[in-house]
Amino acid sequence: MNIILEVNSVEKSYGYSQVINHCSFKIREGEIYGLLGINGAGKTTLMKMILGLQQTDRGNIRVLGRESGDDTEYLSKIGSMIEIPVFYEHLNAVEILSMHLALMGKKGNIPETLAMAGLENAGKKPVSRYSLGMRQRLGIARAVIHAPKLLILDEPLNGLDPVAITEMRELMRNLAARGMSILLSSHMVGEIRHTADRIGILSDGYIKQEFSVAEQAAECGENFEDYVINYMRRKG
Amino acid sequence: MNLFKIEMMKIRLSSYLWAVFGIFISMQAMGILFLFLGVYTPQEGELFTEWSGLSALSTALTIACFSVFSAVAGGRMIVDEYCGKNAVMLFTYPVRRKKILNVKCMILLCITTGAVFISNTSVLGIMYFTAKIFGIMPESSEGSFILQVLLSGLLSGIISSAIGIISAAVGWIKRSVMAAVICSLLIVCIVPNFIAGMPGHIVMTTFAAGVCSIFAAGGMYRFLAKGIERMEV
Repeated sequence: MNIILEVNSVEKSYGYSQVINHCSFKIREGEIYGLLGINGAGKTTLMKMILGLQQTDRGNIRVLGRESGDDTEYLSKIGSMIEIPVFYEHLNAVEILSMHLALMGKKGNIPETLAMAGLENAGKKPVSRYSLGMRQRLGIARAVIHAPKLLILDEPLNGLDPVAITEMRELMRNLAARGMSILLSSHMVGEIRHTADRIGILSDGYIKQEFSVAEQAAECGENFEDYVINYMRRKG
Repeated sequence: MNLFKIEMMKIRLSSYLWAVFGIFISMQAMGILFLFLGVYTPQEGELFTEWSGLSALSTALTIACFSVFSAVAGGRMIVDEYCGKNAVMLFTYPVRRKKILNVKCMILLCITTGAVFISNTSVLGIMYFTAKIFGIMPESSEGSFILQVLLSGLLSGIISSAIGIISAAVGWIKRSVMAAVICSLLIVCIVPNFIAGMPGHIVMTTFAAGVCSIFAAGGMYRFLAKGIERMEV
């Protein structure tokens, strides 16, 4: 399977605080990779570096074989939702998605994407009147409408109700089945366990443990969560 | 959809148009007041009794008001966008950051220059017809009054836009829209006084102020563009 994302020995510091330290991992085509870590572990920083929003101090990141930061062209092949999605409040979902497609230089099916995100009846409503859950759905719709090769989602299930969470999981699985690779971050073990194919535990600035969810769950059984939390907690 | 259209979608143009209309009405009211002030207090001198003075006064006030307007618009379009959460979204598009900034500055320039030109020429035009109707025509020292009004209107628009860009750059440095507005207020303490101080040479003074503002805005723009290009969010 093709490697879609390659993070090689990446380092990042803010002043004297080293947030990311020799962090490496790879994501294959059609794979859902769960990045698990406690709050402040550096998950968002890592995702921002992949998107070129932050510079790496050392190491390199390759997206679809091209080094990130070389130019902005590779960004058209990535869909992302970092932190809480932000929108221009006076615009409606259709306008937001059209604007996104124009900026990405791609074409997409707006009604189909809205229906997929469960927003088929809210397309003409200004975003200022959306609930938190609807905003999250629209954020995901925006991230996938241009059919990216790599989807980066930072805590995407925040603010969603249990039904929506189940629907989102199904959506991510469908997207992965169509060949889209997904990098998903969370600090909640259960959330990642039920969605990801592979998990990388980000702790002390690097991927401390990496495993296949199916294999590890079979090995640990009911102790899966304790096993993961132990790695998230460990220092040094 | 091109970048210009996309950026226009992002802003609420109607709120800017209402602000422009509000400034225009205030300028008009003051213009008419100045016109009658010249009739009832002729001892006040050329500022109220001659067209050159009235034109200088109106132009100076227009620059002052629209510079602050431009700083607010620049603050919303540039400071809010690059210093707020929108930057994360904005920088994930495969479009050069400088290209987007150029479009934003161009929109700011077009809105401000257009608004100033229309407002200033309309104010002076309505003042002219009011003076004619009431038979209180101030003295006109030059025959090329209309050309003077048109030129000073255009130059005032450029000055106000330049002040808007300078203020937005300061606001970006300070990460605050309020800083942009304060910067514009400080600048308008100087520039309009310079213009109103020499009513006989309005085109020359606005031209000189325009050249200085363009150079200053150009410098600040380069600084802003470099900063945004290297910016981490």
